[in-house]
Amino acid sequence: MSLLDLKLLRDLRALKSQALAVALVMACGLAMMIMTRSLILSLDTARTGYYERHRFAEVFSSLKRAPKSVVAQIAAIPGVAAVEASVAMQVTLDIPGMVEPATGLINTLPERRAPVLNRPYLRTGRLLGSGGRNEALVSEVFSDAHKLRPGDSVSAILNGRKTELRIVGIVLSPQFVFEAAPGAALPDNRSFGFFWMREEELAEAFSLEGAFNTVALILAPGASERGVIAAVDRVLEPYGGLGAHGRKDHPSDVRVTDEIRVLRGLSFGFPLVFLSVAAFMTNAVMSRQIALQREQIAILKAFGFTNRQIGAHFVKFALVIVAVGTVTGVIGGALLGNKLVEMYHIFFRFPALDFKLATGALLAAVLASSAAALVGVIGAVRRVAALSPAEAMRPEPPASFRPAFFERIGIARWFGVSFRMSLRNIERKPVHAVLTCAALALATGILVIPNSFRDGINHILNFQWDVSQRQTVTLSLVEPGPLRALADFRALPGVVHAEPFRSVPVELRAGNRTRRLGVSGIPSGSHLARVIDANDRRILLPPHGVVLSKALGDNLELKPGDTVILRVLEGKRPERSVPVAALAEDFAGIAAYMDMEALNRLLGEGDRINGARMTVAGGSWNEFLAAVKNTPQSAGVVIKEAVRASFRRTTAESIGLIQMIYLTFATAVAFGIVYNSARISLSERARELATLRVLGFTRGEVGSVLVGELVILTIIALPAGLVLGSFMAKAILVSVNTETVRLPLILTPANYAFAVLVVAVATALSAALACRKLNQLDLVGALKAVD
Amino acid sequence: MNPPDTTSTAGQPASAEAVFRVRNLGKVYGSGHAAVRALAGVDLDFCAGELVVLLGASGSGKSTLLNLLGGLDSPTEGDLHYRGWNLGHADESSLTRYRRDAVGFVFQFYNLIPSLTARENVALITEIARNPMPPEEALAMVGLTPRADHFPAQLSGGEQQRVAIARAIAKRPEVLLCDEPTGALDVHTGITVLEAIQRINRELGTLTVVITHNAVIAEMADRVFTLSDGRIQKSGTNTRRRSVSELTW
Ligand SMILES: Nc1ncnc2c1ncn2[C@@H]1O[C@H](COP(=O)(O)OP(=O)(O)OP(=O)(O)O)[C@@H](O)[C@H]1O
Ligand SMILES: [Mg+2]
Repeated sequence: MSLLDLKLLRDLRALKSQALAVALVMACGLAMMIMTRSLILSLDTARTGYYERHRFAEVFSSLKRAPKSVVAQIAAIPGVAAVEASVAMQVTLDIPGMVEPATGLINTLPERRAPVLNRPYLRTGRLLGSGGRNEALVSEVFSDAHKLRPGDSVSAILNGRKTELRIVGIVLSPQFVFEAAPGAALPDNRSFGFFWMREEELAEAFSLEGAFNTVALILAPGASERGVIAAVDRVLEPYGGLGAHGRKDHPSDVRVTDEIRVLRGLSFGFPLVFLSVAAFMTNAVMSRQIALQREQIAILKAFGFTNRQIGAHFVKFALVIVAVGTVTGVIGGALLGNKLVEMYHIFFRFPALDFKLATGALLAAVLASSAAALVGVIGAVRRVAALSPAEAMRPEPPASFRPAFFERIGIARWFGVSFRMSLRNIERKPVHAVLTCAALALATGILVIPNSFRDGINHILNFQWDVSQRQTVTLSLVEPGPLRALADFRALPGVVHAEPFRSVPVELRAGNRTRRLGVSGIPSGSHLARVIDANDRRILLPPHGVVLSKALGDNLELKPGDTVILRVLEGKRPERSVPVAALAEDFAGIAAYMDMEALNRLLGEGDRINGARMTVAGGSWNEFLAAVKNTPQSAGVVIKEAVRASFRRTTAESIGLIQMIYLTFATAVAFGIVYNSARISLSERARELATLRVLGFTRGEVGSVLVGELVILTIIALPAGLVLGSFMAKAILVSVNTETVRLPLILTPANYAFAVLVVAVATALSAALACRKLNQLDLVGALKAVD
Repeated sequence: MNPPDTTSTAGQPASAEAVFRVRNLGKVYGSGHAAVRALAGVDLDFCAGELVVLLGASGSGKSTLLNLLGGLDSPTEGDLHYRGWNLGHADESSLTRYRRDAVGFVFQFYNLIPSLTARENVALITEIARNPMPPEEALAMVGLTPRADHFPAQLSGGEQQRVAIARAIAKRPEVLLCDEPTGALDVHTGITVLEAIQRINRELGTLTVVITHNAVIAEMADRVFTLSDGRIQKSGTNTRRRSVSELTW
């Protein structure tokens, strides 16, 4: 080992806690990057492989009913490579051990052949036998939620007839990687599940023999998806086609895509902030180190070491930090990624979701952190090169001070000498002070972000649900029915209040942008369903026009006062131009609302309803549920509390876990920044402080001089940091919010208080650690040397 | 154990009473192989109002002795008493109180606080002292009244050292310890600094210990000690103390 390297080792040992602080910040940034990148890779790889092996379709459409002969028409569309038509029916289930009814969507599998598309993956049990009676396959998520195993039975109401379904196998399907009821923004895996039955059997139960009501296809290479979709729509139009869509509107696939998008956003934003902080810290540490070693450097140069050799020496110093940071970051990122992959199992069901370390990202991470450290060290090394040996051997000229600005304007008279020393120090090195302040502000700011996520979730859980949806339960009919069906709902045991609703599949068009969704008809003056605007105020639905959710409005580039073309996709399929009355604020999916009467008027089919929202008296809850289970015309039950509980259990918990990870990182980084600042100011003032100790100042008094500067800078940085954090939280929310789930930006005093508290505690602890170092200061030694 | 209250005796005329009583004092730095004996078997008594000069070759232990007297360090053997108080075995916080109340230091490299003006450097000490003189008075004693509001960077070496002296004496210390106060200065500037020290010693009756490499300076002292290899090799009393203005080198 060269002696210069020996010096490197000893210098590192002397600076180990600071070097570790920098490495820690770097490690946090890298861990975040490795974790998110690896998750993206894992999800993407699992998805691609799964879709290919199980032939996930590319275009999908539902329709009312069409004879099997139409399948050939679809297959004949240019650009269609393969078609699979089947029957899908939503039914009410009675699950053993569950008081409330559940909803099942039963799909069918063809007889005597394997499906061409959307092949299920068998987890346990067996596939459907040909000719077996009432055999069913069930999705894994639902079977997990109810501990169902092959051999168990569930009863379902098939077209008004109660039927016992015998479960023979537990399966996964590329169609339902993410399982949620159609149209539902949030999953509830206890009350909704997917099933498969033999096509003939289900078709027979619903009198759909020789017909189908859902179709999926894949495209020939190079075919235009748009063109095929338009052609499919033309073919299916006479059969009540609800409009074909591609994978990007597929409810399951879109969730996986969204998750990847969120991860992509996070894989960039957070690491960028952390690595910039690390670069800044490296620079601060190295600049100080070089200032301390001014004379040593001069001697080395005088003895003939080249600028390159000396520069390399300090670069190596930074690279050791990078190495420690990288190793820690990669290990941490891989461990966390592994953990999160397990968590993804709650939401996304693949035959296998294995953790894949993103080696590309790893390389990028090493490069990024080396670059960060080099950026940090380069300026300092340049100063070494510029130093002429003769000049460097003379002690640095005494720093020149002048009364600080505050003194010149006469304020500082009220403060003590130590406060003045701090002020003048700050003012003498404004750049240094500004950078330290910026780092402290960043430390405060990054703490605001994760908690704003948490507060956003709580806002959704506690506020928005109670304000906008006040029913206990929503029942929907198999088919739209007359308004008098409401009387049947009212007659159910325990119903206190019931309000009808209408739901109609439509296509909204503005310019060349279109979206398909169900528009909700809500009776005027509804008590149970309220549409809320961005200011938490209720929007009264106008007798004309439609209210769009903000996400939909943004998507179609519409604002209140614009008009939108509304094309109904069922019944007489009228097409109207309607004004956009207002934009509503909600947190999941896209939505459009109309006054129910206005909607029925537009449809021209009389007063019809799709179901009812109800409040049910607590005492009659069980009787109510039992009655619902046996109501043949009910096709679906949504219990608000169940959805909320499920949200809490799944989405909230996962965001909570990620939030905890980020919060931990943010806290660690905040500590790193503050501690480093304290250590550097200790090093810069060691001689001065030792002199004070010699002159008879106590440790406490000298400590307060040291801490003064840090406290002043922290106090300036805190408000700036809160503002910065709010902006960063907003930027990150915007980048990760998707159409499927949107977190509102909620900034609470508690969040701010927490950030301030962490930075204050970090400052106090760092100050305490620095003061401990101060006590170890060699008084006599500090007097001998001119540094 | 606290240092004795010195305010009652500070400023009294010279008396024969011993301020420091040193017996068999020794100091070893480090241990084992790396042990360095800096001081061994030193016996001496310093009295109030005296001006003492310590001479000796480099490495002979002068600074070590001064640092022990000033409570910057603790001896490894022997007794060190300050006015009957066992300074050699005092704990850190009593040492701090001792330095704060009884000792004034002057160092070769001034050690002023660069971010404070001359006046503030002095005021820093008078704020924590028990019976200080106004900073202006201390600065006047070293002839720096016109430069009171300048920062160290705006003062010459000699002026900076005089500020350091003003800082040391503003609290009316019982003892003034100077480690090579003129070491970094030219002759002319050195003389102004020594004049300031002499004036303090005479007018305030402060026990003053000055380390120097310059034997001529020893002529201004009451007593002169020469150290060699950590021991007192020679001690002498000047029958006639010379005034600084009479010194030439
Ligand atoms: N912290 C220390 N660790 C080890 N040895 C030390 C330490 N301080 C001083 N010494 C040693 O103690 C001895 C006396 O040192 P001291 O500083 O008292 O000498 P000095 O007489 O003041 O010399 P100079 O005139 O050069 O200032 C020397 O040999 C020195 O190497
Ligand atoms: Mg010395």
